[in-house]
Amino acid sequence: MTYAYLFKYIIIGDTGVGKSCLLLQFTDKRFQPVHDLTIGVEFGARMVNIDGKQIKLQIWDTAGQESFRSITRSYYRGAAGALLVYDITRRETFNHLTSWLEDARQHSSSNMVIMLIGNKSDLESRRDVKREEGEAFAREHGLIFMETSAKTACNVEEAFINTAKEIYRKIQQGLFDVHNEANGIKIGPQQCISTSVGPSASQRNSRDIGADSGCC
Amino acid sequence: MKREQEPKTAPGGAGEAGPDGMAERALVPACPKGRPGRLQLHLLSGEFDQLRDFPIFESNFMQVTRLGEVVNKVTMGVAASSPALELPDLLLLAGPAKENGRLQLFGLFPLQFVQLFVHDESRWQLKVKFRTGRAFYLQLRAPPETRDREFGQWVRLLYRLRFHSAQGAVPFTQEYSWLEDEEDEEDQEDEDGDLMEREELRDMEARLDPQSSELWGL
Ligand SMILES: Nc1nc2c(ncn2[C@@H]2O[C@H](COP(=O)(O)OP(=O)(O)OP(=O)(O)O)[C@@H](O)[C@H]2O)c(=O)[nH]1
Ligand SMILES: [Mg+2]
Repeated sequence: MTYAYLFKYIIIGDTGVGKSCLLLQFTDKRFQPVHDLTIGVEFGARMVNIDGKQIKLQIWDTAGQESFRSITRSYYRGAAGALLVYDITRRETFNHLTSWLEDARQHSSSNMVIMLIGNKSDLESRRDVKREEGEAFAREHGLIFMETSAKTACNVEEAFINTAKEIYRKIQQGLFDVHNEANGIKIGPQQCISTSVGPSASQRNSRDIGADSGCC
Repeated sequence: MKREQEPKTAPGGAGEAGPDGMAERALVPACPKGRPGRLQLHLLSGEFDQLRDFPIFESNFMQVTRLGEVVNKVTMGVAASSPALELPDLLLLAGPAKENGRLQLFGLFPLQFVQLFVHDESRWQLKVKFRTGRAFYLQLRAPPETRDREFGQWVRLLYRLRFHSAQGAVPFTQEYSWLEDEEDEEDQEDEDGDLMEREELRDMEARLDPQSSELWGL
């Protein structure tokens, strides 16, 4: 499968806010009711279409628990987009946003597009953070904002795709240097293989690698 | 750079290899790790800048249930986030992607939160247990002629990791509860008997496989 660009995303925020569930809903269209604490980083990938261009999202779902944080931080580097998630039913997860944001800004490119997500919007009766508060925080810090539900899938597609649209817009405006790997953007395989004879279209650099055997 | 030193083609040329790489492997049975594995190739494919230069030791496995029923294919590797490290610090898990069967990286886990056990030595099975309690079983998939040796490398690795954490070099050790776990104690007993033998084998095998010996003396 070929793509025009690959964008690296990170998903960050307190433990239990629903980061892994958002990813699972986006990649597999499933909901996982049990909290399977993430340790380290779990990966997901999906193609999306922006403006007629195929874009591969490579998503790094990080562990929110404090004890893993110092390790996962080092993987923020080179992300083009970040989903910063809190839980609308737990105010403390909203209160911690500033510290997550600081971390993200410190460990990644200044061009990174950040989408603030108030998750668990299906739990309206237990709401602890008003939508307006989320909006205000986003405005103040220059983030995009959405409320989502990983359970009902409400706004999940939109959250991932709108982030990609914003990155794509920045590329077109020349704000992102797509050739600088630190920006978390890669040009897809078919865009750069012109003379080399790679064994497979999805392999960008045929010099370094042998034939990927797919499934063995 | 590390990858530049690795042989790029198998004897006879990559063109003669079967689509699953088995033909190449059959030509070099004595050195299954002498060329980059599937996981390493995946990381070198250009999509994972941050992980591409990690030294990796990896094997292909079948995920099985506790009783040995096959679940799916998994490639597991251990990697060092810095070449200066004495031992690997990361566990990498990959498997075939749903849509096209190509190898896909599923997760990257700090080894300080993971414990490896021998589950069933006679069937080349390991148990991988996360600090969160999640556990699964992996059976090595390797050609019969190299299977024991490759499994031995994993066994050696898990001992070295355990010694390392027992020496307090790794934070969070005190939070572990492996040893209280009944099932793990069983595993523990299984392994303790082999310990000395494994250590003795180490030097010999290091000589047989210079490439791996660079990687933490496995
Ligand atoms: N009702 C509801 N529950 C949700 C939603 N999203 C996640 N959950 C639940 O919240 C819990 C935590 O979800 P996870 O996705 O595992 O949380 P996480 O942010 O990945 O947590 P860490 O991996 O520890 O950082 C699980 O029990 C989910 O079922 C949602 O949109 N609505
Ligand atoms: Mg998670």
